[in-house]
Amino acid sequence: MADAPFLQAQNIYKVFIARGGQARLALRNVDLTVRRGEFLCLIGPSGCGKSTVLNMFAGLVAPSDGVIRHDGRMIVDVNTQVGYVTQDDNLLPWRTVLANVELALECKGVAPDERRSRAVDYLTRVGLRGYEGLYPHELSGGMRKRVSIVRTLVDDSVDVILMDEPFGPLDAQTRLILQDELLRLWQGTGRTIVFVTHDLVEAIALSDRIAIFTSVPGAIKDVREVNLPRPRDVFHIHETPGFSEIYDRIWNDLREEILKTRADNAA
Amino acid sequence: MPLERVIGAGETLVSEQDLLVRERRAFLERNRHQAWKIGVLQVGLFAAFLFVWWFASGRLVDRLFVSDPVAVTRTLYAVVVDGTLWWHLQRTLIEMALGYVAGVSIGVTLAVVVTSLPWGQSVVRPLMLGLFAVPKVSLAPVVIVWLGIYLAPKIVLSASLVLFIVYFNTVAGIVSVNQEIQGVLRVMGASRFSILTKLTLPHAAPYIFTAMRITVPGALIGAIIGEFLSANRGIGFFIAAASSRYDTARVFAGIVSLLVFVLLLNAAIARLERYVARWRPAHERAEG
Repeated sequence: MADAPFLQAQNIYKVFIARGGQARLALRNVDLTVRRGEFLCLIGPSGCGKSTVLNMFAGLVAPSDGVIRHDGRMIVDVNTQVGYVTQDDNLLPWRTVLANVELALECKGVAPDERRSRAVDYLTRVGLRGYEGLYPHELSGGMRKRVSIVRTLVDDSVDVILMDEPFGPLDAQTRLILQDELLRLWQGTGRTIVFVTHDLVEAIALSDRIAIFTSVPGAIKDVREVNLPRPRDVFHIHETPGFSEIYDRIWNDLREEILKTRADNAA
Repeated sequence: MPLERVIGAGETLVSEQDLLVRERRAFLERNRHQAWKIGVLQVGLFAAFLFVWWFASGRLVDRLFVSDPVAVTRTLYAVVVDGTLWWHLQRTLIEMALGYVAGVSIGVTLAVVVTSLPWGQSVVRPLMLGLFAVPKVSLAPVVIVWLGIYLAPKIVLSASLVLFIVYFNTVAGIVSVNQEIQGVLRVMGASRFSILTKLTLPHAAPYIFTAMRITVPGALIGAIIGEFLSANRGIGFFIAAASSRYDTARVFAGIVSLLVFVLLLNAAIARLERYVARWRPAHERAEG
């Protein structure tokens, strides 16, 4: 059952109309299958359409052609069975930390008492107990990011978490700490994570599999297994036996595409 | 744990605790000084204005035209004490309040409805801009013909000077909502109504408050214009009647009372705004 297709993108094409009015192909025949319970990273050169695929899983962007499926259902409208963590923390600045974490539960009609206790429980797990009453602008970037992740995880009616370069804007140390926290929060929950990044080390540290995108128009170039044992030590991941083989193999794939993107941009 | 360090040969040691206390005291002192200086300058400017007025009256300009601060103060005192001013102010206040509330609520509601319709904004914009550009004062006589001489025309005029600015500002607030946050909320399963109450309106609130502050004088002007043209009570009537008798001191007494009144209203709204905006960083909050 673990290997059964859970989230699927089948023969996806996406055409964007540029400002000048000309149509440009952004995705070409993307075929991607996410397994239930896995941590999948999408990696590729910038502008290759990884985030667009994520937006399609969320039902916020419709493919120009092809089909998105989630647990057998065809996604034609907003997909409320997923949680979405964006690159910016996107907290509501007029809500306290606690009220921000309760937001999704509020939208789903969970009773106030339960909402509160679940939110507090999650905040405790990421060390934010005691910060419930603060407003986002009173927190550091790392703390805001924790709140943003926790407000997505707290809704247990979603079985897929989509993350769009969530750690991109953070400094290197905070990034590592949050990667570690994310793995702890996720481990053993059975939830599926699709995580967009352009940091290869991050992808290897976190994921079970890595899907490599080609340069634009984006397609899946390859999907590689990351069979490093769990639980993983993200702080010393590059010392883990097997790391450099995986890194070199994927970097070879990736380098070609990055060079192509650079050539395209220069042209 | 007070960490101590040597600050110079032969000098005493300073503990970090002392340093913190000292700097904090200096900071508070500076703040107090600043507030005090600003206060002195404000009063000074006002006094200079009164002096120029007093000096010019009868020397540079005919007293009949500008009266003088002393006469105005005397008249103001008289009409406050005998209750005349309050009697007129009451009426103006009612007209203005009703006009203001109507203008704000219609403006906000219209903005919410129009922006929620597909292409609503683009379709409605030319009409609203056109109506906004019409000088409401020129409509005043017609409005009185339509609605009579009691409260209604004053309320309508007052509202018309509030509505458009509130509408345009609210629309600007609503369309500037971050689309990504909206996407996140939709994925969370928020209904259109939830998005409106949890995201759009809180986001637009500062825009709405700005409009509410800058339209307070407008609401007053609308009511006063209505009273100028036809009324038997209200500050506008009070001023117009005094003016027709060339009682300049009385005219200015009426104007001064309006001025004080607008300043008080403005302070009240700023206070409300600060309360609503308490989640914002201090430097973004409203002044005054």
